[in-house]
Amino acid sequence: MVVDIAGFQVADWVALVPSLILGVTAMLLFIVDSIEPRPGTSSNTVLAGLSTLGALGAFLVAGYFLVLGVGQPRGTGAVDLFNGQLVVDGMSLFFVVIVGSVTALVTLASYDYLEGQEYQAEYYGLVIMAATGMSLMASANSLATIFVSLELSSLPSYALVAFLKKNRGSVEGGLKYLLVGALSSSVLVYGISLVYAASGSLQLNAVADALAGGSSVPVGILGVGIIMVLLGFAFKTASVPFHFWAPEAYEGAPAPVSAFLSSASKAAGFVVAFRVFLTAFPEVGGLAGGDPMVDWVTAVTVLAVVTMTVGNFAAATQEKVKRMLAYSSVGHAGYALIGLAALNAPDQGFVLGASMMHLLVYGFMNTGAFLFIALTEHWGIGRTFQDFNGLSTQAPLACAAMTVFLFSLAGLPIGGGFISKLYLLAATAQAGSWLLGAALIVNSALSLFYYSRVVKAMWIEDPSADLEVDSYPSSLYAAVVIAAFVTFALLPAFGLLSPSAFDAASVLFG
Amino acid sequence: MAIQTQYFLLLSAAVFCIGVYGILTRRNALVFLMSVELMLNAANINLVAFSFHHGNLTGQVFSLFTMALAAAEVAIGIGIVLVLYRNFEDIDVTKAATMRW
Repeated sequence: MVVDIAGFQVADWVALVPSLILGVTAMLLFIVDSIEPRPGTSSNTVLAGLSTLGALGAFLVAGYFLVLGVGQPRGTGAVDLFNGQLVVDGMSLFFVVIVGSVTALVTLASYDYLEGQEYQAEYYGLVIMAATGMSLMASANSLATIFVSLELSSLPSYALVAFLKKNRGSVEGGLKYLLVGALSSSVLVYGISLVYAASGSLQLNAVADALAGGSSVPVGILGVGIIMVLLGFAFKTASVPFHFWAPEAYEGAPAPVSAFLSSASKAAGFVVAFRVFLTAFPEVGGLAGGDPMVDWVTAVTVLAVVTMTVGNFAAATQEKVKRMLAYSSVGHAGYALIGLAALNAPDQGFVLGASMMHLLVYGFMNTGAFLFIALTEHWGIGRTFQDFNGLSTQAPLACAAMTVFLFSLAGLPIGGGFISKLYLLAATAQAGSWLLGAALIVNSALSLFYYSRVVKAMWIEDPSADLEVDSYPSSLYAAVVIAAFVTFALLPAFGLLSPSAFDAASVLFG
Repeated sequence: MAIQTQYFLLLSAAVFCIGVYGILTRRNALVFLMSVELMLNAANINLVAFSFHHGNLTGQVFSLFTMALAAAEVAIGIGIVLVLYRNFEDIDVTKAATMRW
């Protein structure tokens, strides 16, 4: 098969180059490490540079493909690979952009964070391997490839959370992540097996065709299968009911890993959920008109409201900043679920596109906030709100960046988070789902309360006597400042990117 | 006479429920991993049985993938259980509660 990319006739697998770049980078990291295999002997600079370049390469190529129109109706049209097991379209490229940019920021910041650690090569290798899995999740178009790529991103993540293997918190976080992850992946596989039982195939379009037949489909088996698949994705996106690993894993893990998991891994979980439910189960859910066979839209609505509320109320009661951010990331999963919950709106592409844009903005602002925590861990100051008192007297630039992240997460007009939340609200209004809209507004207002506590501690409270910041790690600072700049720039530049999200989304609704 | 497909479904549901029961009641991390293995294999029973029922090989091939991934998951799991033992001198999952469970 041949596709036309920028006037060149190339083989169709070229459309998959962003994911291939990540995979090749992971292999290169292993080769670099095997040259000097004793732990701690490979150069941190080479490893961090190579992984950042690889992630940046994937990000740039995916962005360039989006601009060229690869996989989109105005260009090549969706590129099917391997008999439709993988597909490259606007949505997959959009999410590779998110994963690539988050990974680049995380590996850049890890350079300083890993200073003096023993197993650096393993760390970078696992990060890039997980990123490969996430970018493949964006392209996976069959329940088989979805499961394999989901595991490719999950398994390295378990090891990464437990990376500080002499630190009790890190090991405990890793254990809980592993236990919940193993449980939810077996629930997902069981759900997949039931969907296969009902439809006789795993490829998403074929599943949709088989289920469109109607009368002969065993609705009971299919319904249980769809709900179990939904629960499996709830783990990956840290939504209720499989959210309780998130605060433990994010708090225990090294902060750059928390940033990586809470932004990139969550986005990857959402793209898989979007693709499965909109490609395989639209008619089952009644999106094509008629009565739904299995009303998953209502199930997702319930999950979205509960997830938002649980995440935000739990965040409001936390004493530790990192744990607060972990719960707030659960709350944001609830906001992003609106993309699937408000689908009975007339303009479905707008609803899904709003959710995709929220995940893009969230990728930058949440990564930045966790990288700021990495900075404070590097300085060795404590984890509670009081420990941040007066930090702005020592590190005004980082504190200004953190303020941008937090207010943008809350939805104030200082970063892209404002517009993406506004779009989500417009989506709920379009769908006439007042419950979702009210939950979004109430929870955003509540979130402003606990985000402001950090800002107040940093800027208004007096510093304690022993607060001393002695080093300014350049790569961590660079990552934080870049993330802050992009978060801020997405406020005016939001309109430049949102058309590609809306176009990519509306294609899925044929 | 071939066994009817719904009996396979019953069998796999039973195995799956035993796995869930094990996860909810046992505290040993290794038994926990074994229970997860039961749940994954329950899915494999379904996949193979319905592969036969539908007359295509998709399910059988996918069950091979599931087995391989289950093995990989256990490999990571054992590693984490090992560091758990080194840090907490126990593999009771409820003992690792320095943060909160």
